[in-house]
Amino acid sequence: MSAWLTVWDMLPVLLFGAVTTVKVTAGGFVVAVLIGLCCAIMLRLRSRLLRAAVAVYVDVFRAIPVLTQLFIIYFGLTEIGIRLDPIPAAIVGFGINGGAYMTEVFRAGIESVHQGQLEAAQMLGMTRLAAMRIIILPQAMRVVLPPLGNFAIGLLKDTALASAVAAPELMFRARNMVDKTFLATQIFSATAVIYLAMSLPLGYLTRRAEARVSRGHR
Amino acid sequence: MSWTIFIASMPELLVAALGTLKMTALAFIFAAILGLVLAILRMSGGVAGRFAFGYIEVVRGTPALTLLFLIYFGLVPLGIVLQAFPAAVVALGLNGAAYLAEIYRAGIQAVDRGQREAAQMIGLRRREVMRYVILPQSLPAVLPPMGNYLVSLLKDTSIASLISAPELMLRSRDLAGTYYLPMEYYLLAGAMYLVMAWPMMHGVRRLERHFARGRLEGNRA
Repeated sequence: MSAWLTVWDMLPVLLFGAVTTVKVTAGGFVVAVLIGLCCAIMLRLRSRLLRAAVAVYVDVFRAIPVLTQLFIIYFGLTEIGIRLDPIPAAIVGFGINGGAYMTEVFRAGIESVHQGQLEAAQMLGMTRLAAMRIIILPQAMRVVLPPLGNFAIGLLKDTALASAVAAPELMFRARNMVDKTFLATQIFSATAVIYLAMSLPLGYLTRRAEARVSRGHR
Repeated sequence: MSWTIFIASMPELLVAALGTLKMTALAFIFAAILGLVLAILRMSGGVAGRFAFGYIEVVRGTPALTLLFLIYFGLVPLGIVLQAFPAAVVALGLNGAAYLAEIYRAGIQAVDRGQREAAQMIGLRRREVMRYVILPQSLPAVLPPMGNYLVSLLKDTSIASLISAPELMLRSRDLAGTYYLPMEYYLLAGAMYLVMAWPMMHGVRRLERHFARGRLEGNRA
């Protein structure tokens, strides 16, 4: 019982780590969405080379474990003189990895919008990019939002891997505490509860957002 | 950069890749069976159903790494000491079961209600209805996401390196540290994962296309 009380005392340290977890998640999410959006739009452009490059990126980064990608970015790049701090390295790693998934998500969203919408927009004199931004993407959101929410939840949990490159997030703090106190059961249980306390509300928000954008459809 | 080092370490890496495949296969079987049990429990309602629901929600809301550490380090004070490899199989299996349970449930619920009613009408027992009527028809909705899960499981086994289970990522880290060639060895490991995962991804895509075609033809008839 006293062991659990010790964990109670460590809670501030864990919560401090949880803040970093949220930061890494948010950073990775933004990078992934930006990459995914750009790549999905590139897939609609006429350049065959660009499309092939995006297809290779999507396939390769989805086939390699994100842990391997983190190690390449954090340890591997030092060999060619690029030394990133753990948190930026994690954000870049999760961002590039997630970008491959987000490309597929946005591609599916854009394809779900009827072709006639683009044609009509072009008839009105919009450029392809303007039509994409004003006409297609807002309509694609309905298809994009559910997987986007799931990705955010998945990413939140995946950031635990950043502890392997010494980013001081929740899992890293937990592992440090366990090394000091040997209270593995208690500390990792508390860690699981904190992750749960972050991911459950995120899931709830996702479902609400989904309900909101699909209102008036079906 | 000396290629001889790479060629010399290839056998070691290939053995480690076999460990990765073995871990993937065992965890997949574990998750597939436990997931089915969870899905059936969850749909049957009652206390067991609520337990299954709670299990699925908790596991899906926490990182696999936390579960892995809980099983490998956290069970020791309770007198349960697992070796790294079995601990990884159990943790990845317990984790995957929650995801597969939801995939099964979605698949089973996608089967038309009338099928169950008709099967009961002709006198099949509950168990038989499930086995001969519902489960076979749920396959088109279940197999593609199950394949996707297999691909992500293959990649997730890399986290087992963090508890020193013998697989590809651990061996790569060892070698990268020994020769101080992190870029080369991690890229090599990435390439090996790619070689293993790519055929699976391709297979899933074919499976998806196969079932999509069947559905379209069915609609036309």
